[in-house]
Amino acid sequence: MSTITLKINGLEIVAEESLTILEVARRADIFIPTLCRINGKNSEEPCEICLVEIEGMADPVRSCVALARDGMVVVTDSANLKNLRQEKLARISSHHFGDCKAPCNLTCPGQINVQGYIAHVSKGQYEEALRLVYERNPFPFSVGRVCPRFCETRCRRILVDEPVSINHLKRFVADWTMTNHIDLKIPRAKITGKRVAVIGGGPAGLTSAYYLARKGHDVTVMESMPKLGGMLQYGIPEYKIPRNVLDFETNMILRMGISVRLSQKWGTDFTLQDLKDQGYNAILLAIGTSADKKLEIPGATLPSVLHAAQFLKDVACRIKKDYGRRAAVIGGNNIAMETSRTLLRSGVDEVTIIYPRAQEEMPANQRVIKEAEKEGVQFLLMASPVSITENEDKSLNVELIRMRLGEPNARGTRLPEAIPGSSNILEVDTVVSSLGLIVSEESFSGGELEEKLLLSPKNTIKASPRDSLTSVSGVFAAGDAVNGPRTVIQAVVSARRAAENIHAFVMDEDKSPAESRFNFTRGKSFDDVRLSNFDGINIKLREKMPGRPPEIAIQDFDEVNLGYTEKQAIREAERCLSCGCTAFDRCNLKPLDIDYGVNILKTGMGTKPMYQKDDSHPNIVVDLNKCIFCQRCMNSCEYDAIEISSGAMGENGIPLDLKLTFKDNCVSCGKCVDNCSTGALNKKDFLVPVVSESVRKVRSTCPYCGAGCQIILNVKGGTIIEVTADPEQAPNYGALCIKGRFGFNFIQHKDRLTKPLIRRNNQLVETTWDEALEVVAKNFFDLKAMYGPISIAGFSCARATNEENFLMQKFMRAAIGTNNIDHCARL
Amino acid sequence: MTNSISDIGQADVIFMIGSNADTGHPTIGLRLHQAVARGAKLIVVDPRGTDFANQADLWLRIKPGTDVALLNGLCHIILEESLWDKEFVKERTENVEELESVTRKYTPSYVSEITGIPENQLFEAARLYAGAGKKSAIYYGMGLAHHASGTDNVKSIANLAMLCGKLGVAGGGVNPLRGQNNVQGACDMGALFNTLPGYVGLTNDEFFAKYEKLWKVRLPRRLGKPATEVWDDILDGNIRGLYVFGEDPVLADPNAGHAIKAIEKLDFMVVQDIFLTDTAKMADVVLPAACYAEKDGTFTCTERRVQRVRKAVDPPGEARPDWKIICDLSQKMGYNMKYDSPREIFEEISSLLPQYSGISYERIEKEGIQWPCPDEEHPGTPVLHIGSFTRGRGLFIPEDYTGPSEPPDEEYPMILTTGREMAQYNFGSMTRKTPGIEEISPEAFAEICQEDADKLGIEEKSWLQITSRRGKIKIRTTITERSQEGTVFIPYHFAEAPVNLLTINSLDRLSRSPEYKVCAIKVELV
Repeated sequence: MSTITLKINGLEIVAEESLTILEVARRADIFIPTLCRINGKNSEEPCEICLVEIEGMADPVRSCVALARDGMVVVTDSANLKNLRQEKLARISSHHFGDCKAPCNLTCPGQINVQGYIAHVSKGQYEEALRLVYERNPFPFSVGRVCPRFCETRCRRILVDEPVSINHLKRFVADWTMTNHIDLKIPRAKITGKRVAVIGGGPAGLTSAYYLARKGHDVTVMESMPKLGGMLQYGIPEYKIPRNVLDFETNMILRMGISVRLSQKWGTDFTLQDLKDQGYNAILLAIGTSADKKLEIPGATLPSVLHAAQFLKDVACRIKKDYGRRAAVIGGNNIAMETSRTLLRSGVDEVTIIYPRAQEEMPANQRVIKEAEKEGVQFLLMASPVSITENEDKSLNVELIRMRLGEPNARGTRLPEAIPGSSNILEVDTVVSSLGLIVSEESFSGGELEEKLLLSPKNTIKASPRDSLTSVSGVFAAGDAVNGPRTVIQAVVSARRAAENIHAFVMDEDKSPAESRFNFTRGKSFDDVRLSNFDGINIKLREKMPGRPPEIAIQDFDEVNLGYTEKQAIREAERCLSCGCTAFDRCNLKPLDIDYGVNILKTGMGTKPMYQKDDSHPNIVVDLNKCIFCQRCMNSCEYDAIEISSGAMGENGIPLDLKLTFKDNCVSCGKCVDNCSTGALNKKDFLVPVVSESVRKVRSTCPYCGAGCQIILNVKGGTIIEVTADPEQAPNYGALCIKGRFGFNFIQHKDRLTKPLIRRNNQLVETTWDEALEVVAKNFFDLKAMYGPISIAGFSCARATNEENFLMQKFMRAAIGTNNIDHCARL
Repeated sequence: MTNSISDIGQADVIFMIGSNADTGHPTIGLRLHQAVARGAKLIVVDPRGTDFANQADLWLRIKPGTDVALLNGLCHIILEESLWDKEFVKERTENVEELESVTRKYTPSYVSEITGIPENQLFEAARLYAGAGKKSAIYYGMGLAHHASGTDNVKSIANLAMLCGKLGVAGGGVNPLRGQNNVQGACDMGALFNTLPGYVGLTNDEFFAKYEKLWKVRLPRRLGKPATEVWDDILDGNIRGLYVFGEDPVLADPNAGHAIKAIEKLDFMVVQDIFLTDTAKMADVVLPAACYAEKDGTFTCTERRVQRVRKAVDPPGEARPDWKIICDLSQKMGYNMKYDSPREIFEEISSLLPQYSGISYERIEKEGIQWPCPDEEHPGTPVLHIGSFTRGRGLFIPEDYTGPSEPPDEEYPMILTTGREMAQYNFGSMTRKTPGIEEISPEAFAEICQEDADKLGIEEKSWLQITSRRGKIKIRTTITERSQEGTVFIPYHFAEAPVNLLTINSLDRLSRSPEYKVCAIKVELV
């Protein structure tokens, strides 16, 4: 075999003769991108991404066909090549039609892999579903109960019937693992020795603490109240989040290894300087917004005029008070609704919400408003309180003025304005004002560093959105304390980002780059999405959340919404249209588009479905809308059992009118799917897109026939999601059969034995290992004593390992004392 | 296998007998097809019209259970026509005279009468396989071994290969395709009634001393009972306790009714498995085990390659790896068996087994090694018997044809033969939990040819009752050219049609393999 010497990117390479430049580069670990080359074959319409420049040649050549020659000087990357590749990629992408990420995933502030956990639910993998949620949100119990559900507003199923009840599914998996005492076994990284103090034990503080502890840091949470949870503990009433659920949730977080110091008030019991002196490498302020915006009308300071946050906190602390028979709540936010419902549960018969605009304009979530309304809360709209006076019997007169909407202002908003002379009186026993929450009424005090903290005009803590740093070095801030009162999930997101920033800070590392926003989409807004996308999908309305009737529910603080049953959860999960691409992590087109800066918003992508999805194959779903005609499926098939052809050529040289056929000799081995460059071919069983989660690849040996095929078990969390094979490895060199690639469902099947069983009263019942082994040993011992060792026989297992077969025969020969050992070699 | 899977690519002639690799060993089947596409000649001996049979240059459609006659007949022709490798036979074998004398009576006309194969095909097959200078490889499967004459079949195969000098060369050899992932390893490890690990018989004092010293115990010398004989011994009251590790004899054993009766008579049975199998349901104690994805270890595949198995996920609930359970039980029995890891067990294995001496977890981290591997420098052995045989000279052991133990008769006029489908595995406890597999292969069908169907008035998908002397099952029909006249094929994966209620528990006299592939049945429309 003769060799040649050539230069690639300035590197001298000695290679075998008559290889292509692409192959020579591959063997020298020099990456040249290609979309279609496989098995020494190309698409009949070559992708032309593998272009390289050769010194002395005018035009770039395709490295997949150009042979490497002695003395060649090759460049694989240049501005010109970059442009050419970008242009070609843009053309290929202009016909690619599908969603990379599902709209729910994109809309969720937490960027949670929503489609992923729904898919896990549909497969009965509740534990894995919850593990996936915990990747980005350690408050699934609470968020699953109170989230305003941004995701559901963009669910494509709205175009068919109703959105998938995503949040109820999250709550279901959380509750399921609680009921079944499941340990998620989420691993903690190696201890770093870095110490972080988190001030505030609410959703933001605990979220940061959780992700910092997961990264191996030593975290201490300082909480001013006697219990953890912040607003979840003291703001959101028990009928929405039962306290045992909240305790379970916070304990799950603490189990990551977090220290907690309760009843520690910042500024009183300790200062930032104290923490620095104690050696904390970073401090996070996650103090939330716990102070009420004050009502400023005459009579606001009367003893029966309360503020919402304080009122809810008193109720949460079980401080009993008499609120009389009638109450008014001033304000239209979520807290006003919960205040009203809490009043109804605190002996008040009539609760009236006073709000200066229409109901639709209330800042509260419409769903929350409906819940309050159902329980009998009344609404006095287009009215504003002017003053409050106390009567002799201690009841209050709230003087109201009627409002109307004024002319639109410069921004087009119609602000309410008072109708002169329209005042009337509402007589109540208690007034609770709910005008919103603020971080604090004053600026911070207690020490020098505290005074250096800069605040925003809205009195929130100023922190850089880039790195979460405040004006004091080493001090970070996150959650409502920075952003003002928002939803729980938004606090979680802010805190998770802060944790990433703190990690980078204490480890003195660069932050991992933000994920690209690049995304193919079937339509950004509902108007852009063709209804033909949903041909063949039947109407199936969402599952109803089981709940207690309002008239019963208001009699106590027990939870109102009871959560889905398992059957409901599976039915609901099966409604998911699985918009996002299940090839998200293995796609070759998207990363090249990103690397080469293709702007598909400008250069275009597919806008409408040209092909129906085809699921007639037993194991494979075909979506030709995503096909880029690389023909790798056909060229990688060792059986010659798949054919893909194009019936027409579009402008730009893009093959159209595609046709893919599995021939009769297809053995369902699934190799074509593993070689697909996009999500055009998918394994039916592979429902969970891998978005940003890590997947462990465990090399092993196939458990079926004696061929000894080498396999790779792809494991996400604790679940095997896929089996693949390495094309370079003996004895199968990437080939697997249907059993090897698809037949792994038995491993984590619900019918697996999980406990030793013992026969009692002719029934097999569960027992402990100790008893089971004791009984076996005793029986064998007795038989041996009475009839000799030859009265016992053992069958070993041709599916178990060498080590186990070795031990089994050793056990029979050495521990029992017989050669009555055999296995099914002959069966 | 004497050879490696990858050297299929070098074969000039492929002789497949009693194997449908497309269903039993699909990835090996793929390589065989590729070899044929490349130009290798293919001879297939099979009663069934499999894809390989249809694709073969020469398909010998044999009557089930007549393989010894065929193989003797081929040797007869090869000797008559002087096609044999005289040099190989002279240099490397002994006892060829006996082969000559035994095969003398197996003339083409006699063999044709027994096997149903036309004489001219016998000549063609003999000439093609024996072709001087050609690399001819034999591949066989359970279709050859699952007979009362199974060892005779295998010996006859070896005779043919030695006679033609097709051993010890890449692209040739005698290559059994083993049915289970680690049946090779289980044999290597001495999970056998007649040998210690490493194929050391029960009479080898030197090895016994070595084992007894290491294990600190006196080892039994008396021959044990093979699995297939255990049932009779239970019914006779000789065996009273049974330890079943990962097997399901209630479904798997021939004449399963017999096994069930025996189990009912046992004083005590413990079953260790990943599912509550039909056998486990009858146990006194059931121990939950980890499956292959939940533990570390090694499997040895059909080409003798020792390969790693690695833990990917935790076992469910309290299930434990089998090695751990066996250790725990041994401790309770008062025999000290303590290992911290499968690696430690493997170290003991390689210290004891000459074939495994040079293999360690470190060495097979990336790629498995094929035994024998005598020392740490040895690269493993892709091809056995190069230059010489393990025993020195290869010994011809010719056998006479005896015929199946239960030929069809008036009462049970048809032959039942059993086997695998491509998508399913064994008794389905692993494969039948994947919807895409169930869609391809949802139920068992009795395969019957058009002629027989017409005779019995059977239509496609008709429900049949199939009866043997041991039991009966209900099953639907598929009418197909794959089946020979008078023969019914049923896959054994489906508990709904437990075919082993029909099969016969007559055993090979040496290996004690059962005759799954032939028994007499009657077929009736329901």
